[in-house]
Amino acid sequence: MAGVLIRMKLAIIRNSMTGGKAAWMVTGGIFGLLFATATIWLTFVDIARPGLLGDLLACVWAMWLLGWVIGPLWGGSAVLRADHFALLSVPRRKLAVGLLGAAFVGITTAVTALAFLSLITYAAHLGVVAALIAVPAAAGELVFVVLLSRVAYALLGFVATSRIGAAITGVLFAAMIVLAQSGWMIIVAIIYSDVLSTGFSSTFSTTLRWIPSSWGLVAVDAAGHGDWPLVLGALAGLAVLIGLLLLIWAATLGTPRRSRVTIRGIGHAPVPTGGLFAGPTGAVFRKELRTWWRDPLRTTTATVPIAWALLTALLPLTFGEKVLLPWAGPAVALFAITSAGNLYSQDGTALWQTITTGAQHADVRGRQWAYLAVFGPISIALSIGFNIWSGYTWAWPWIAATLPALLGGGAGMIIYASVAAMVPGPDAHKRPDNPLERADTTGQSQVLFWAGLIPAAPALTAVLLGDQFDLPVLRWAGGPISLATGVALAWWLGSVASRRLTAKGAEMLHLMHTGRNTAAGRAAASGGTRIELSKRDSAILGLCLPGGSILLFPQGLLPLVFVLTGVDVKSWFLAMYLPREWGLPVAGVSILIGIFLYSQAILITVRNKKIRAQREATMARDRDAARRPSAAR
Amino acid sequence: MKATTQDVVTKRSGADGRVPALRLTGLHKAFGANIAVNHVDLAVPQGSFFGLVGPNGAGKTTALSMAVGLLRPDEGRSEVFGVDVWDDPVQARALMGVLPDGLAMPERLTGRELLTFIGQLRGIEPAVLAERTQELLDVMELNDAETTLVVDYSTGMRKKIGLATALLHGPRLLVLDEPFEAVDPVSTAALKAILVRFVESGRSVVLSSHVMPLVEQLCDTVAIMTRGRVVAAGPLAEVRGEQTLEQTFVRLVGGDELAGRGLSWLAS
Repeated sequence: MAGVLIRMKLAIIRNSMTGGKAAWMVTGGIFGLLFATATIWLTFVDIARPGLLGDLLACVWAMWLLGWVIGPLWGGSAVLRADHFALLSVPRRKLAVGLLGAAFVGITTAVTALAFLSLITYAAHLGVVAALIAVPAAAGELVFVVLLSRVAYALLGFVATSRIGAAITGVLFAAMIVLAQSGWMIIVAIIYSDVLSTGFSSTFSTTLRWIPSSWGLVAVDAAGHGDWPLVLGALAGLAVLIGLLLLIWAATLGTPRRSRVTIRGIGHAPVPTGGLFAGPTGAVFRKELRTWWRDPLRTTTATVPIAWALLTALLPLTFGEKVLLPWAGPAVALFAITSAGNLYSQDGTALWQTITTGAQHADVRGRQWAYLAVFGPISIALSIGFNIWSGYTWAWPWIAATLPALLGGGAGMIIYASVAAMVPGPDAHKRPDNPLERADTTGQSQVLFWAGLIPAAPALTAVLLGDQFDLPVLRWAGGPISLATGVALAWWLGSVASRRLTAKGAEMLHLMHTGRNTAAGRAAASGGTRIELSKRDSAILGLCLPGGSILLFPQGLLPLVFVLTGVDVKSWFLAMYLPREWGLPVAGVSILIGIFLYSQAILITVRNKKIRAQREATMARDRDAARRPSAAR
Repeated sequence: MKATTQDVVTKRSGADGRVPALRLTGLHKAFGANIAVNHVDLAVPQGSFFGLVGPNGAGKTTALSMAVGLLRPDEGRSEVFGVDVWDDPVQARALMGVLPDGLAMPERLTGRELLTFIGQLRGIEPAVLAERTQELLDVMELNDAETTLVVDYSTGMRKKIGLATALLHGPRLLVLDEPFEAVDPVSTAALKAILVRFVESGRSVVLSSHVMPLVEQLCDTVAIMTRGRVVAAGPLAEVRGEQTLEQTFVRLVGGDELAGRGLSWLAS
């Protein structure tokens, strides 16, 4: 069973190793290897305080566990899903064991196995017996995290069908992004605290050891000082837990297609048509508000920016910094752009209704108003509330210069991106049981995040100049400039989007109708014109994107700001370890290389798009040529 | 002042009133190497109940999508009462109601909300709209599902609410892709009655199907499509001749020589 499933999984992975996916796999693998090596390296660090090394290792292992639980949120569903085999006459438990075997084949498992070798290197300090105990313990932990990941995904998918579940998913998603972007702040917090010299409190280390990811460590520690009952207890506990998880997992596998959590509409009441929102735009606005309220996917779309902004703004409080508080509101407005930039795809082929009613213009405007109604009030409230909390009166002109431009510019950008750069996803009524499966918009979101900052530039320049030359008029002109930029961008991008939707609606519908197939299906639908990045290009892309972002932000812009403002945080910022006169150039070079790498990645993407367009044009010409003789006949 | 749909039809029809309700001229679409619709010409006379039949993959859905303006043809034109669907989409869309097969709707609305908002987009007066919405929900028997969102509708209910949105603005022509698929017999009877009345009032219906007896029972004009081409078209009696439509269909489409052979291991 497991053998067949493993071969099947490998075949699927081989067939779906498309350019973008391959790049992400390579990148993920490299980062995974780095983390795994760092985990092993930790066990060789010379820490004087007894027990502290164990505590730290338990912390890191808990992080690995966390990664396994929430990691699948990024990657979507497992390659092999149990419902593929639902109709086979195979007992559930046999299927569960088989799928578990297949689950071990993968880069993530290999990387984690490497990281979990750290238990053995740690145990080596404690003696041969402890090292021997560490082998089954580490293996057990590996089985445990893989199983827990599967069970958690199944359960999370189940709750995510409801709106509360969708909101939780959004918060987890935002937490992942914040950890990836601002995780260094936690390291700063640890360094600022005196944990490294005094150790963790005993309550903390006891609690830590109750987490199952630490049970292997507990067994090894116990073996180190000859506490055999505890060794057996910890290992047996792990075994029982694995057994339990396997049972739960087998049970979720057998569940027939669960019915969706039903969200009810308002019944028997006349639907309002008049008032402020009469007319076509008002109809779309009302429809959109209902959709934002009722669609779990929209709930996630709305939760992610809010959670992201709150977490990012509050994280520096861990080391007593209020510096990000005033920016919580603008941060919501900024991240909303990346989050809501694929609106048409979320509604899928329902676009035919817009086309047949000829309501493209009203549709665009109605969606823009609804976007503002969803994200406007919360970002304004957060801006005002958090800045009063921070007590930074100097921040008001800056906020006034940022927020309107981001909101208005966002209302323009999301609708333009939704039309011009749509990524097709599954239709709502065909979405699989698990709503975590949706269109992958990572690329768009990256672009929109940085493009989203541009609208605020003119107003911020005014404030900056006002500050520089001490001209209060200029400083306060930021607000009106920002408002004007926002209104202008929302209006202009909206009308561009509306024209494009009118002209290209049929093509978008076709893309959504056919593009949600698997890669192979798409290739078949387009007659095999699927063109992938070459291996070399995807490797370069895989290195350029993460490399560029590391060099540009944490190693470039951030240390630059720190050096200029005199903040003394070293952490992993190379430039901060150097003398001041060297720090600035190093940060500057970092920024330049980062920009270069980013531009390479963009160039590759653009070039491949061009090649694809050319080949498609050639194919069209060939078709024409092939048809002409038959027409002449 | 906007011309009413009746005005347009009268004006375009000229003296003899014979401009087709729907005319496809040289309609062509290829997806890569696969030619889905191959230079199709078709005319749907005014007041006719037109059935487009063909096996799976014959190109019916592609042809109808191009006819109503949901898929851009590589070549050819589609006219509704003489109005080109691609040159004057606004006018053409006011004249017809469309029910595509298998496409999504604004899913997070109740049936009543969906009809109300679509009506508003069509510019229907609020009072008229409320009345029509109620009548459509009654006739389609969707009143019991007052609080159910479209996303939770069954396949048959989706067909019915789709047909309701197509009928809402009183079109002169209905284009329906597989309207009876997955609809239960009771609802089928109700839908049939609505369509027959629609044609009796002088309007036209085009529907695609692969259920021959149903097409034979409802339609007065048929076209048979296979592998992207129309192989026969005209009044029902002419097309089927002495045979049933099903026999004619199998003869024209050409059954697979392996069909009817059965499976070897299930034979004994």
